[in-house]
Amino acid sequence: MSDPATTWHAEPDLLDRYARGDIDHARACSLEAHLLECARCRLALAPAVDTGRLEDSWDGLVAALDAPRPGRMERLLVRLGVREHTARLLAATPTLRLSWLAGVVLALGFAVAAAHGGRGERSLLLFLLLAPLLPVAGVAASFTRGVDPTYDVALAAPMPAFHLLLIRSTAVLGTTMVVAAVAALGLPDLGWIVAAWLVPAVALTVVSLALATFQAPVTAAATVAAVWVGGVLGSEALSDGGLRAFRPGPISSAAFTAGGQLALVAVTILALLVVTSRHDRFEIERTV
Amino acid sequence: MSQITVETAGLRKAYRSTTALDGVDLRVGPGITGLLGPNGAGKTTLLRILATVLAPDGGTVRLLGRDPADADDRLAVRRRLGYLPQEPGLHPNFTAFEFVDYVAILKEMTDRRARHGEVRRVLELVGLGDQAKRKIKALSGGMRRRVALAQALLGEPDLLLLDEPTAGLDPEQRLRFREFVSTSPDQTVVLSTHQTEDVAALCNAVVVLDQGRVRFSGTARELSELARGRVWLAEARDPAASLSWRTGDGGHRHIGDAPADARLVEPTLEDGYLLLLGRRAADELAA
Repeated sequence: MSDPATTWHAEPDLLDRYARGDIDHARACSLEAHLLECARCRLALAPAVDTGRLEDSWDGLVAALDAPRPGRMERLLVRLGVREHTARLLAATPTLRLSWLAGVVLALGFAVAAAHGGRGERSLLLFLLLAPLLPVAGVAASFTRGVDPTYDVALAAPMPAFHLLLIRSTAVLGTTMVVAAVAALGLPDLGWIVAAWLVPAVALTVVSLALATFQAPVTAAATVAAVWVGGVLGSEALSDGGLRAFRPGPISSAAFTAGGQLALVAVTILALLVVTSRHDRFEIERTV
Repeated sequence: MSQITVETAGLRKAYRSTTALDGVDLRVGPGITGLLGPNGAGKTTLLRILATVLAPDGGTVRLLGRDPADADDRLAVRRRLGYLPQEPGLHPNFTAFEFVDYVAILKEMTDRRARHGEVRRVLELVGLGDQAKRKIKALSGGMRRRVALAQALLGEPDLLLLDEPTAGLDPEQRLRFREFVSTSPDQTVVLSTHQTEDVAALCNAVVVLDQGRVRFSGTARELSELARGRVWLAEARDPAASLSWRTGDGGHRHIGDAPADARLVEPTLEDGYLLLLGRRAADELAA
């Protein structure tokens, strides 16, 4: 039985400790090298091995080999420090997919081009209007039945819908703002006003979430968008003296002044309070 | 029924001007209950309410002894619930494994190894063990259906709600479905279907829903018995019969009053259902 090439055999005590996992790494390696060569020691080891532990480590091996390699998006998120299961939840967000982000880039690219086509601050108006609305749309779509294909399954699951909503909203808002910030680098240099969309982006997103505790998310987003566009364009038109086409000139909407931005911060805090106090509204669908 | 696990009283739900549920009283216990009814009967709305996804406009619901209108109770129910929606969307870029794993995460299975083991178990159960690593967009319609079914089976739920689970399955898959859906005696399974064969083959109890109301509730046998003495086989077609069709062997089957030269035959569940709902159900079964 024994291999003629081996001249020594492992002591029963050593095999016993190896089987229990109570042996240092170097000695385990050397013993394993010997075991590969020596049938006699393998036979001596077999009864010492606890089958439960063997099955456990075999299961572990199968699990490791069988675990699918996550997609590109998930690998990126894990590398950024996101936990593995949160990464999966984010990867399932419809508005974090490449097709959605491509749309965002396209829309912002158009607004940047428009800015270079005009003169003065007014040339930035399209960008300043659009950049805050993109996260509003992205967040609303990420928890809308019909856009999220697993809406019903997710709602029936024990993980709170609000928890999922927060993870996704944060990711969508963050991603959209990073894309918008990069796009804003391409705007003509007109001072701090090229960054005046940042506060409205956060404010409108949170307000639309607060409104979504009263009505359907898409309706809430549409309401916020209508008020925002109507308000800004209206005040620009009025400041022009009569409702004439916009002439090149400074932007006058209060939303983009220091005072207006402070007011928007206050609105954001108020909307956050509404969202947190009414978050159970997201847990079940009501149609009335 | 010894124990009631799903109970509704006076359940109402309307979408704008359409009434989906018009006072539904339901008492269901462990075992498999078939929710039978024509399209638009309110089956999906009822299942969405039982799945705690949709709030009813009126009436009460008790699931596994709890009230889903209460947030804590609802969470407790969701922890013991498996749900297959009627048109479950699947993320096309996920693999079958990733998708079921995603739902397992939503079901609070945080330990990765245990979760992966469970995902593999349910995929094996629906016969997709060897397709786990394929992307959902590369799978056939029947396979996607089974991926959706697999997620509902995660964690061996006490309450399993399946909306049209056999739609899109071929006969062999239907047979397999019967095997794995009827395993645990403590589990309450409510499945909706518009096919009487499913109910006859699978269910101990049947609820017939029509126009948002419960028209029948009882055992599969009791539904067949409704038509006892009213099902006839004749050589010729009877123009006066309200429900009559040609069978495979050339005769004509009538439900209702006796036509000329006819003999009485043993009623089936389908006969009972057709008698109950009449013309509309017959048209739908024929379609």
